[in-house]
Amino acid sequence: MRTIALFTCVIVAGFSVGAFAATEMIHQQGRAFSVESISVKKGEAVTFLNDDTVPHNIMSASKGNEFNLGSQAPGTSTDVTFKEAGDVQVICAIHPRMKMMVKVTD
Amino acid sequence: MPAPGSYRSRILAGTIASAALGMLGFSTIGFGAAVVGESRKVEITQKAPSGIDALKALYRRPASIPFPKDNPYTPEKAALGKKLYFDTRLSVTSAQSCASCHSPGFGWGDGLAVGVGHGMARLGRHSPTIVNAAWSAIFMWDGRLPTLEDQALGPIQSPGEMNMKLDDLMARLASIPEYKPMFETTFPGQGMKAKTLAQAIATYERTVVSERAPFDAWIEGSEKAISEDAKRGFALFNGKAQCAACHEGWNFTNEGFQDIGLPSTDIGRGEYLPGVIKMQHAFKTPGLREISRRSPFMHDGSLATLEAVVDHYDHGGVDRPSRSDLMRPLSLTAQDKADLVAFLKTLTSELEPTAVPVLPR
Repeated sequence: MRTIALFTCVIVAGFSVGAFAATEMIHQQGRAFSVESISVKKGEAVTFLNDDTVPHNIMSASKGNEFNLGSQAPGTSTDVTFKEAGDVQVICAIHPRMKMMVKVTD
Repeated sequence: MPAPGSYRSRILAGTIASAALGMLGFSTIGFGAAVVGESRKVEITQKAPSGIDALKALYRRPASIPFPKDNPYTPEKAALGKKLYFDTRLSVTSAQSCASCHSPGFGWGDGLAVGVGHGMARLGRHSPTIVNAAWSAIFMWDGRLPTLEDQALGPIQSPGEMNMKLDDLMARLASIPEYKPMFETTFPGQGMKAKTLAQAIATYERTVVSERAPFDAWIEGSEKAISEDAKRGFALFNGKAQCAACHEGWNFTNEGFQDIGLPSTDIGRGEYLPGVIKMQHAFKTPGLREISRRSPFMHDGSLATLEAVVDHYDHGGVDRPSRSDLMRPLSLTAQDKADLVAFLKTLTSELEPTAVPVLPR
């Protein structure tokens, strides 16, 4: 019984690793990011929330931290975990005025 | 009962397994080292303009033209830039100027489906207007140039367009006696070089601003300035027809890139962002000022009339992975379409004639 309880706790803990709350929330409203830059530690997640009225395509081509959220619909959020230290330029491919920097530290 | 060692092993294995499950359950990998989680639905509260007056306020004309800090306006610079803009000697054949493809007579375009370049060869895309370029964030249909100064030099050097090497051009301009003192006065200590040539042309282009149209009079309070049809069209533009999702603000563009489903093999912005599906066949959203003078329309000049443009959006275009999520059949009625066209026509001003400058000899 104790084994089952422990195993259950471990399973729950495991899921929470995958779903752990991001430390930073970036909003997208009025075709703009809510901040121009943020600083996060390597391995930390950032949540990109599309609270605008149109889809966005948030992405980065910065080496070591490339990502692409595809077409992110209004009313959805996605976590991005940065694996490498350095400056990450994040843009919306659809709306070129949307630019921000994520500084990833060790 | 299992041995303690075995028990610890099972916990360790379970931890690893469950962590992996967690990752699988909530994560997929992007195209790089960053780890992208699964998207979640979120309850949000949209801030929508309340009422017609709030909506109108979003379209008010700006009070002044923005000029960049590294290329501020001076009257001398704009005047020199105008001479250069209209000077055919900027092309290798001395037959084409900037104004050949961006003519005031055609709403600062050329009135053709696609431009005509060096040797009268047809180009691949429609010549875009330069009206209100001062407010642009990025240049060319595919966004490949970041500033208007870069844009000014692009067509001059392009083999398919004016086909002029910059070194040759500067030597040719230096051989025209009246140009040199103009550059010296306009750019003290810098004189005649490609950088100042680009700065002068871009400064002139920034002064090309759409004039007051009936729409401007209406949003400033003159109710009789536009028809009732056009007022309904404005409501549709911001509502059922969803035009304002991209054609927003006083110049009716957010400078964004969308695949609007035109049946063309040109991948546009996709050439510069090959890994981004939504950029395949995507082109910059043009502003709509002076639109009645700018037919035919679209990046390929494939639609001859505003009616055809509205029909295209009503249909939704070619359904493909890159097509904008905003593009879908709209179910507009014949009256809706007529109202939208009536509204679009209110964005055209009574443009003042542009005087062609006397060129240096």
